[in-house]
Formats: sequence, C-alpha cells, structure tokens
Amino acid sequence: MEIIKSKKEYDVIVVGSGAGGGMATKILSDAGISVALVESGPYFDPANPEQQTQLKWPWESPRRGAGTNRAFGDFHMSYGDWSLDGEPYSSVEGTSFKWWRSRMLGGRTNHWGRISLRFGPRDFKSKDFDGLGENWPISYEDVKPYYDKLDKLVGVYGTKENMFNEPDGFFLPPPKPRLHELFYIKGARKSNVKVMPSRLSVLTKRINNERGICFYCGQCDRSCSVYGDFSSSSCLVIPSLKGGKVDLFVNSMVNEVMTDNNGRATGVSFINKENGRDYKIKGKIVVLAASACATARILLNSKSKAHPNGLGNSSNLVGKYLHDTTGAGRGVFIPELMNRKTYNEDGVGGMHVYSPWWLDSRKLDFPRGYHIEVGGGMSLPQYGIGWNPNEFNKFFGLRTGGYGDSLRNDVKKYYGSTVYLSGRGEAIPLKENYCEIDNNTKDKYGVPVLKFRYKWSDYELKQVKHMHDTFEEIAYNMGGIPLGTKPTKKDNYGISVPGEIIHEVGTTRMGNDPKTSVVNKYERLHDVDNVYVVDAAPFVSQADKNPTWTIMALSMRTSEYIISELKKKNV
Amino acid sequence: MNRRDSIKSIILGSIGASLTMKSCITQEDEILLNQVWEYNYGRTSEELKWDYKVLTGKFFSNNELAAIDKIANIILPPNENGNIKDAGVVELFEIIAKDFSTPAHNEYGEKVLRRGLIVFDEICNNRFNKNLLDCSEAEIKIVFDKIAYNDNKDEDLQEAIRLFAVYRGMVLTGYFTSEIGIKELGYKGNIPNVWDGVPPEILKDYSVSYDKEWIDKCVDQSKRNEIAEWDEDGNLIT
Repeated sequence: MEIIKSKKEYDVIVVGSGAGGGMATKILSDAGISVALVESGPYFDPANPEQQTQLKWPWESPRRGAGTNRAFGDFHMSYGDWSLDGEPYSSVEGTSFKWWRSRMLGGRTNHWGRISLRFGPRDFKSKDFDGLGENWPISYEDVKPYYDKLDKLVGVYGTKENMFNEPDGFFLPPPKPRLHELFYIKGARKSNVKVMPSRLSVLTKRINNERGICFYCGQCDRSCSVYGDFSSSSCLVIPSLKGGKVDLFVNSMVNEVMTDNNGRATGVSFINKENGRDYKIKGKIVVLAASACATARILLNSKSKAHPNGLGNSSNLVGKYLHDTTGAGRGVFIPELMNRKTYNEDGVGGMHVYSPWWLDSRKLDFPRGYHIEVGGGMSLPQYGIGWNPNEFNKFFGLRTGGYGDSLRNDVKKYYGSTVYLSGRGEAIPLKENYCEIDNNTKDKYGVPVLKFRYKWSDYELKQVKHMHDTFEEIAYNMGGIPLGTKPTKKDNYGISVPGEIIHEVGTTRMGNDPKTSVVNKYERLHDVDNVYVVDAAPFVSQADKNPTWTIMALSMRTSEYIISELKKKNV
Repeated sequence: MNRRDSIKSIILGSIGASLTMKSCITQEDEILLNQVWEYNYGRTSEELKWDYKVLTGKFFSNNELAAIDKIANIILPPNENGNIKDAGVVELFEIIAKDFSTPAHNEYGEKVLRRGLIVFDEICNNRFNKNLLDCSEAEIKIVFDKIAYNDNKDEDLQEAIRLFAVYRGMVLTGYFTSEIGIKELGYKGNIPNVWDGVPPEILKDYSVSYDKEWIDKCVDQSKRNEIAEWDEDGNLIT
C-alpha cells in the first residue's frame, strides 16, 4: 500500500486536540515552535451554526433529542460515546469497562461538566497518609504556578474557602444558587456536610475580548457558541491556528509512533479517515494526548526492534493502573417543590453549589474521599419528560397511571420537584486494572484494538455505600424523599461501571523509577527522550477531583519544559 | 456550497446505490431531502445519513397510524392549551419506530410499539368483537380502565399494562417536547439572559433566603463586562 510521506519535519507533533493536546498546541505554538496537531475526528467550532446545538429546542430533532446517536441525547456535543461503529473493544470475562471516545476537535472538552478542581497537597502524596497506591513524584507546589496561570488563561468561577486540600485559585465570581440548591444547602448543613459554591470553567465575567460571557442557558454540555465556557477547540486550538505555526490534520487516526534504529521517535503514522490512505509525518518530538487508553493503545501498537514490547513499555506498565472515578447517585423528590411557579432558572450548565470532601477518611472504613454534585430544577424538556407523569402519586396514597386530561396537570405538578445527588470519589489505582492490546481483533482501519480488565475493590464499594448513606440523610434533611431503593451489597451498592464517569486515567503513570513507572516527572517516557504524554495517562492517582484542570496544568508545565529542551538544543 | 447543497451532496454521496443509479433526483427524493433539511440541529454527516433513513420509508400502515392517533387523543384529549396533532405525536411514533432500530433497541418498533397495537386490538376483540379502530371512544375507555393503572394485578393483563405505559409515555413525552407542550408546561428558559438569583417573591413563597456571606461572593452582574483582574492573593479587584 502506498504511504504518503511529508518531507517537512515539525518541531513537535501533538496527537489529540482535547484538554492536554490543545494546551500543548497553544503553549508550544505561542513560543514560535512549529506544531503538527493530529486529531482523529473532524474540525469542530461551537460557533459554527452548522454544528451548533446550543439553544435548539427538542422539537428541532426528529426524535425530540432521544439518545439514539449520542448517548446523552441529540444535543449533547460529543461526536462518539461509549461505542463507535467499527471500532470495538472488549473486557475480560467477569469484568467490565466502558470506554468513551469523543472524536472531534477539542475532544471531550466540548461536552464536559466544566468542573475545574485543583488537586490539593495531599492528593499528590496520598500514600504518605494511608499507605495505599503510590505518591506522585511531584507536589502541589510544583503544579501550583501552572494552576494559577490556567485560572487566568481559561477562567474558572469559585470562592476562596481556605479549606485544607481544596486549594483556592484566581476565581471569577460564582452565580447565585437556584431554588433547589438552597434546599440542598439547608439539607447538607443539617447533615454536617460542607457545602460551597461550585468551581466551573464558565465565564461569569469577561476575561478577555476574544471570548464572550455566559448568558445562562444551562447548556455547557452543548459547547458554547460565544466561547463562554471552556472547550479546547474554541479557547485553545482555534486561536492557535491563527498564529501560523500550527498545521492541523483532522479525521486522522494515529496508529503508531515511528522510531529510528536507536529507538528514538521520528514521527507518527496515521490513517486519513476520509480517503483511507496512510500518511507519515516527521517531528523532532512527539506529544501524545489521545486520551489515557488511546495513548496506551498507540504506544503498545508501536512495536519495533528497539521496543519489542511497545514504545515506552520496558516496565511492562503501559495500560496498567487504569482507574476511573467512582460514581453513585440518588434522586430525591421534594414535595415542597410541587406546583412550582415557573421562571427561567437555567443558570450555568451544571451545578451552582456542591460539597467537597468534608470528612477524615482515617476514621472511616474506606480510604480517600468523594464530593457531591447537585442537579435538578425546571430544566429544558427532552425526550423522556412526562414518561411516568404521576409516579410520585404513590407518596400520597394516590393511584398511579391512568389517562386523560388530568395527566397534563400531573406533569406540571411534579415538574422541577426532583433533585439529583451524585457522588464522585477517588479509587485506589491497581496494577490488576488495565487495558491491553487484543491481538485477535482489529478495528475497521486494521489496527489492533483494546481489551480491558477492570474490577472495583472493596475500598470503592465501601465508599459508595457511604455515599448512599449520606444521600439519604441529606434527602430527608432537605425535606425530601429518596427515590427508588437504596442499593445493597448484592448490587455492589449501585457503583458505576468503570469508565462510566469518563475520568479514566493512569495508563502511563508518572514516577522517578523507570521500573515502576512509564513517564518521568515531566511526562516524558523513561525509555525515549523525545516522546511525552500530556493527557490523563500519566496520573498516579486522581483524587476525587475531575481530572481536566490537572491535565491542563501538567500539559502547560510539560510544554514549557519542551520549549526549554528545544532551546537548549537537547532534542 | 450552502447548507442545503452540502446536505444533498452528503446524502447523495453516501446513500449511494439506489439514488446514483438514477439519472437525476426524482421529485420524491427531493421531498425527502427537504424533510431532512427541515431539521437543522447540528448533525454530523453520519448522523444526517441516519436521519435520512429514519425520515424515509414507512413503518406503520395507515390503519395503524389511525389507531395510534385515536389512542393518543384519548390518553391526552385536546383542550384549549393544545392537542396531540399540533404536537406531532403520531409522527413521533413513526419516527421512533424507525429510529430505535439499533441492536441495543431490540426491535423496539416491532416488539413494543407495534406489539402494543396488536395487544390492544386483542383486548378490544375479546370484549367487543372488533378492532380498536372500530370501537367507540366509550368502548376504548372501558378497555383502558383495565390497563391504564398500575394497581391492576390481573396476570393476563400485565403485558397490556406495560405496553399501555409505553404509549402513555410516548404521548406525553411527544406532547411536552413540542412547542405547544413546552408553552403549556411553562418552561421559560433556552434563551440568553442574565441569572441573578431566585426571584424575591419566590424566595418568600418558600420562606428561604440567601446568606449574606454567600451572596456577597457571587457575581455582581453590573460588572460582568469588566475584564477580570486579581491581586496577587487571588482577590478579584474589578
């Protein structure tokens, strides 16, 4: 088969345009470095009316927004979800992992919840506290300057709280709580659960003249057409393209990092999804940011004489220590919120208030912590509304079901009366949880796919059991009735399937010892001095904090390191 | 190329065989293209191809559609606020029957939606010796009284009760995701605005209030347009 080779040698090839790759592209190209950015999906700009879903009404979709094509509904801004046609993956029998893939410029940053939490001093050194897992080779102090820069560059709202292990930053002011959030505040306080304004990368105030300000449509998951929320596409990549230092390759699936006889990287090969042809481009440095598992897959598929086990895999740890955030949730019916007077309470896309981890796990039967997210309100109807129009009648001894005009009133009566509590917790990374190459299966491009093996341990199960106890207590304290039944041991306490929270990290973990880690403290492969990983694969652990803010801070730090190496002509 | 032409090229380029073999686009194809064009909601080319499939072809017979229309009008009778016709509820049944056709949907159109019609007909036949479509509204209501409530434990009716719940769900979801349904619901959002907290009269209704300490940290909407600046300790100074 003919392979198309480009003669140009880039300073840096960045693979993937999400949080990590977008940030690397911006920092490197701003410094005058030539960058080839290779993205597996199409070009995407939330301001493009052809692609925009923001402010669409449910009836603008023939299926009223149902999730046939997009797992979270038609208007959700992710091209791809837990399954992609022609690109399968599997799990070892008796285990299960769900792998989310957003194939588009900006990747998952177009749909994410914008929850932007710094890891705290303790999160980098958890092993010192409970002996479990591994410490990061870097500390909060190493990352803090980058978190600071990130806050100012990208924008995040929140409040200074001076709380241990929940570092403050340079915050924009938060929006005022909604009504159901006032109920949550009341309930959480009564239950002695700390509650405070959430920290989301949504612009409640202008940070520059290039981006607009939030206009409170509550649809950050659709990606903002005025760039009022952070997406890597709109806020990092698209501005970087204007500088003239970036060549963007879209619809280009990288399958391998190429190496020379000495084992150093020389570039990448990719398949153009539009014409099916193979391409090779050359670069002095390769920066992988394809997402934790896709990066592991590329490395493991990059076998050569110098790297018979896959690139960067002399430790045999590429793909190991895969871990996702734990998740559990419970709906709460608030009778007081029946028959609401309606008004626009869309607010920002997501919660205005939340509960950070508030306890000391040394006094509990599980390690590490979790935070609680709050949802609810009179939100934009979508497919599914009114499905069980009067199921809450059961709480009043009334009949459920029926037909006729009264159903209209049932739907209106209960609209906006439910609050959703979601726990998001830290898992202990285990070597036994991993992804590996499945040599028996290839995707439609002919590239071997991944096989996962992931099982929660007792630590995580006990943690979500605690979440559910907390949800019930808060539910009653906010004057509500928890919905459904509390999950028990038999159903694993209702814990999410690994991968479902879409925070998978850890597959090329960071460390000082090449025998027990894959990348060094600058996210460079121990085995090869010109390959870096700037997605969530280097995470040693991930606290209960959503990973995006740390992915970007580390990508910024690594990019500055790459700039200094290029200047020193070390590469 | 304008949007309509680009959609056309995507669809013609991919639906392929059946259309490209024709020398030109027939009037029928043109109508179908216009139908896809009607929905403008940020689709990828793969999704457009899927929509084309869903919006073309026919799943329910005209008789079946008439039966769905009759059922839907009894589940949610028209009133001054709106009706199932204006809400496009019957069309939604037809679309969902074709749309929920991935392996994960397990033949939803056939095994759930069409099955519902068959089961309702069976009950009508047993009771009145005629299909649902031929029954009077009063007769249909006699049947619905048996299958519309979750407290009926009659084992022979459990399938019908489950299927009726789906029909009720589809009718209500179709209604309340339509323009008139959302208006009736009273939803006021999906429009640019500036959120500045719960309206004072609502706070009063629920006897709740904002903590001063909390609210003092929240955004001052009169200064939202001033570019943010901080002192070195992270205190906002603009």
